[in-house]
This record gives sequence, structure tokens and C-alpha cells, in this order.
Amino acid sequence: MSITGIEAASQETAASEGALDADAAKIEGRSQWQLTWRRLRQDKVAIAALVVILVIVLLAILAPAFVSITHHPPNIAYPNTGEDAAGNPVGPGTNGFWLGTDGTGRDLFIRILYGARISLFVGFVTTAIGAVLGVIVGLMAGFFGGFIDTVLARFTDAVLAFPYVVLALALAVVLGPSLTVIIGVITFFSWAAIARIVRGQTLSIKEKEYIEAARSLGAGPFRIMIFDILPNLLAPVLVLATLYIPTAIVFEATLSYLGLGIQPPTASWGDILADAQNFFQTSWWYVVFPALALLITTLAFNLLGDGVRDAMDPRTERVLAAGRGRRKRRGKRQVLADGQSELAAHAAPYVPPAEGS
Amino acid sequence: MSEPQAGAGTASTPADAAGDDLVRVENMVKYFPVRTGGLVRRTVGHVQAVDDVSLSIPRGKTLGLVGETGSGKSTLARCVAGLIPVTSGRVIFDGRDITNLSRGAMRPVRREVQMIFQDPYSSLNPRRRVGAIIGDPFAIHKTSTGGERKRQVQELMERVGLNPEHYNRFPAEFSGGQRQRIGVARALALKPKLIICDEPVSALDVSIQAQVLNLLADLQRDYNLTYLFIAHDLEVVRHVSDSVAVMYLGRIGESGPRDPVYRSPRHPYTAALLSAAPAADPDTAAARQRIILTGDVPSPIDPPSGCRFHPRCPKAEAVCGQQEPPLEAKAGDVATHLTACHFPVRAGENLAVAGRSEPT
Repeated sequence: MSITGIEAASQETAASEGALDADAAKIEGRSQWQLTWRRLRQDKVAIAALVVILVIVLLAILAPAFVSITHHPPNIAYPNTGEDAAGNPVGPGTNGFWLGTDGTGRDLFIRILYGARISLFVGFVTTAIGAVLGVIVGLMAGFFGGFIDTVLARFTDAVLAFPYVVLALALAVVLGPSLTVIIGVITFFSWAAIARIVRGQTLSIKEKEYIEAARSLGAGPFRIMIFDILPNLLAPVLVLATLYIPTAIVFEATLSYLGLGIQPPTASWGDILADAQNFFQTSWWYVVFPALALLITTLAFNLLGDGVRDAMDPRTERVLAAGRGRRKRRGKRQVLADGQSELAAHAAPYVPPAEGS
Repeated sequence: MSEPQAGAGTASTPADAAGDDLVRVENMVKYFPVRTGGLVRRTVGHVQAVDDVSLSIPRGKTLGLVGETGSGKSTLARCVAGLIPVTSGRVIFDGRDITNLSRGAMRPVRREVQMIFQDPYSSLNPRRRVGAIIGDPFAIHKTSTGGERKRQVQELMERVGLNPEHYNRFPAEFSGGQRQRIGVARALALKPKLIICDEPVSALDVSIQAQVLNLLADLQRDYNLTYLFIAHDLEVVRHVSDSVAVMYLGRIGESGPRDPVYRSPRHPYTAALLSAAPAADPDTAAARQRIILTGDVPSPIDPPSGCRFHPRCPKAEAVCGQQEPPLEAKAGDVATHLTACHFPVRAGENLAVAGRSEPT
């Protein structure tokens, strides 16, 4: 977004309003976020998922610490202790390898931890960039309408219609596989779905009377977008983003599995799984543990995203108060064809079947 | 009415409009194009939302604009407020032509023309705190910042009858009447001269309506405000207005000082509207004869020829469908009481009886 005079001015006021808002939180409470958190806390599944995610993040951050405990750096092979006489990986618990070794005698546990770093990094970074881009594109398209909307919305549709694996393959071949290319490719596909949702939301918010009120006060388009529309978009975008992280993680694993992503010897879950294919008859742990890591991580993010969406939908409060179960609420939500449940439909359009492989 | 003649007139030609009018609308036309869908958009017609409307409001007075849904009241208001461009005609505000000004040129005018909206639920952003909402005018026009703005906002809240300590609350924590007070405070922030009230009490309970109306009256007295007051509730309009204009299908059917129009309506549509208003006294209500209009409001895309009311008018004759009646003072009325009708209602005439005969 280019910094225009109007925008600069509104950023200036944003600072002063921010101060007022911070002041506000002390005296009064119960903003949208506090209410959401309150409802989220009641949701045992979501809280469990949140704890699991925090544990995974912690493990990934502490990976070097585990290296200093096991004395097995991720990229060092141990042909003597890490492989049996036939040259196959050793099982969990053997010779100080907690989860066994991989095909070249490296510590599987340490490699899974380092793989988590890559997966989480790719998941968070691509989702963050995608969310920002998606919000900007969707907001512009929805707010300005007309020609800008036609161009942006058609471009979004074109991206969504693109066969992502084909593009990823082509780019990886042309540019050479690297972390940057991976992030670029995943981001390229992640912003479009968010942009489409944001555009739809913007179109509906634009017609609200408070937008007209802002215009009648003399507010410019950028002020209206930042102060009046954006706050109303944060909730759906946050939900979408939470549901997008696992998709991006699986996408990265898929690309690495196909040999187009993170290159050896750097550890990546997809890469480990690809190597493990040759050993699954003799060494079950080699396949099971990285697959479990991927499964648990994506499942936790999906469950958390589900919980956040429920918590942000004020209608679920009644249902919670009535003490009904989570399952019933899900069923009801699908019946209610509103924007929030539309999010779910758009959020999971391309989950590649990497878990099963 | 003790007003000077030109001032009290709600619909006057540009020539005789005196300098004491804060707002003058001259021959305003607003057509919305009706387009086909699809890639190539063709304009297939126009919604004639406002068609050749002239009116004026004297400084410090209230003009009540009544009419049923779809008569173009709100469109007229938005054109006057400069929120949508007009197709033709002029809006003169405080001696300046503010018709279709650019956003930059309109900015100083925005400080003097404010709006109060109909729906107190959708006119306040649910994600922003009340202090930020009322402080918006100051922020947009950069008149004050920080603590100074907070003080001003709290003064405004107190002025409109809100607790200034509720500065940090969200709109959802207020009732409908309180929310409308927030809207009033926001409109009042920049000390405007004209406030356009677009059905400000239609969405409120009757008891709350009175509170908000009284607040508006107090503010008008204290700040010498001029109101363009839009409503479909005739009793509300009678209560607040100095003069009244009745709109039907984008045109003004009758306008004039409040009392003559209410006492002896000359346009059959006005008479029908007044007869339809509920009466508080059951005896009066039982004795009264309602004029039942037949049919619905015709489409503003293809309005009837001649007098737009003629297909539903109990008094319509052949000429009504051919010739458009001019908006003029009828015999026996004060000069500012204008009616656009070929066969104005006479005093004591019973339209309820006429309505039973089949209109041509």
C-alpha cells in the first residue's frame, strides 16, 4: 500500500487513538477479544489443541538443547551406532537414539524437531504474508469496486483456479528448490482465498450506515478502510489464518516429499517421509513418527481454528449456556449459511493428501 | 407563523428566496440508472428517486419532510448532505453552491452539515468504543487531539444525556435510545449549522422517541440549529416542524407552514395520509373517516404521466393523467401553502365517500 497523505494522517491519529484504547482497557473491559477468549476457555478441545501447539513450538525452539542432551546433531550420520549390521536404521531407544535413526543413521527425534522448525516457520510466515496481502487486495477490491474490483477479483479467481502442484513444480525446476521459493509458492496460493472472503465481507460492511456516517463526517477512503472496515475484518481473518497454518504446513511437506522443497541434508517432515518410504517394511518408526508429528500438528491447528471460530460467533454462547455438546453445535453451524461458516468451506480447499503417504 | 413570507415558504422559486434561508434546494433531480447485469452493462431505465424538487429552510427552523417508503425522502437528504451526487439542480447552503463538490471542496462544508441516521444499531460501528465514535469528527477534521479531544467528547456526552464515564464502552452496551444519543453527539461535535435527521426516531420506542425529540428541540434552541427532519410519522413531524413538505414518488405534492397544512390539507394524498394517522382518543378514532387509497405506490422507474398520484387519487379526472399540476398556492390559502393538484380538496369535503366511487 502506498503511503498517501491521507493514510499518513490516519496513522498519526491511529497512534493517538491507540493510546485512548489502551486507557480504555483499564477502565472498561469486555472487548470483542476478551469475550472471545472467555468463550474459548470453555472449549476444552480448543484449549487442548492450543496446549499441544505451544508444546510443539517449545520443542522446536528448544531443538538445540535436545542436541546437547543427546549429542546427536541433526545432520550427522552415525554408521556405527545408528545402523545395524545389515545397514538398516536402529529402533527407538537403541544406543541413545530416542526414536531410532533414519536411513543414513541420523537421530530421527532430532531431525523431527528440526523439521518442526521448518514446518512452523513456513506455516506462520506464509500465512502472515498471505493474510496481509489478502486483506489488502480484498479490501481494495471490495471497497473501491468497479474496475479495480473487476481486475483484482478476476486475478484472485485465476489464482484459485490454478493447479498449485503444477506451478510449484515448474517454479521449483526453474528457480531451483529453496526455502524462499517454497514460501513464495505457498504464499502465492494462500492470499487468494483470504482476499475473496475479505472482499465479500467488505462488500457487506460497506453498505452499513456507519460507513455512510463516516463519509458524512468527511472521512476519506483510507480512513474508512482502516478505522471502520478493518476492525470488523480481524475476526474472520484470524479464524481463516488459524485454519490456514496447517494447510501451509502440509503444502510444504508435500513439496518437500516430492523433492521440490527443503533440500537435504536440512531436515523437513516431507523429506523424512520421502526417505522413509524405502524402509517402511523393516523400520516402522521411520515412517510413523514423522507422520505422527505432521498429523498432530495439523490436527491441533485445525481444532484450534474451529474453536476460535466458534468463540467468535456470538450465537454459540447461547448454545454453550444450554450445555449442549460440541458435536451438535457443529451440525447447527453448517445449517446456518452465514459468512463464518463460509470461511470453513474456503479455508480448506487444497489439503494435499500428504498424511497418508 | 410570524416568519417573513419567503422564509416560511418551503418551496419557492430561486428568484424570491430571501437571504435568510440556510439551505435552498433548487429543482433537484436525482435519477439512479437501472442497468442490466452481465459483462456489458446497458442502462435500461432510471429510478426517478427525486424529480424536480425545490425547497428551502430558514435559519433556525425545522422543515419536516414526510412521505411513504420509496417517496425519495432519504435520497433527497443524502443529496443535500452531499453523500451522493445529484443529477441536476442545485443545493445552496449558507449562500454557497455546494452541488456536487469534490471531496476536498466539500470538507469544510461537512463541518456545517451533519446527519443523524435512522438505525441506531447500524449507524454505530460495533467494533469501536463510543469515545472513538464521538471523537471521530475531531479526528477527521484534526481540530483536537488526545486529552483535549477526550474532554470535548465527554462534554458532548453529557450534553446529550449520556454518562461521560461510559466513554470506553462499546455501542452494544447501550440501549436504542442511548445509541441514538450517541449519534446525536457525533452530529453535534463540530457545531454544525444544519442537521439532517433521517428518520431519527422511527426505530425507537414511543416513550424514547419523545426523549430524543425533546433533546433535539433543546439543542435547536441552544445552538440555533436548522433541521431537515425526515419522518413517516405525521404526529412526530407535526411536533417538531415549523413547515412541512409532503413527498410522493419523488415530487413534492404539498408544502407549507405546519398548521395550515395539517388543518386543511389541499392535496388528496396529504388528506389521505392525515386520515390514516392513528388518533390517541378512541372517540375521535371511531368518528373519523379514513380515506382508503386503492393500489400500491407505482414504480419510480416508470412513474405515471401527469400528476403522479392520479392512479390512486379519489378525485382524479382525465386531465390529471395528461397534465402535470404546478406547485402553487390555491385560492384561500396563505401564499406559502403550495399544492400541486388540479382539484385541490375543499374544506369539509369528504374524500372517504369519493374514494368509494371507481376512479378512472
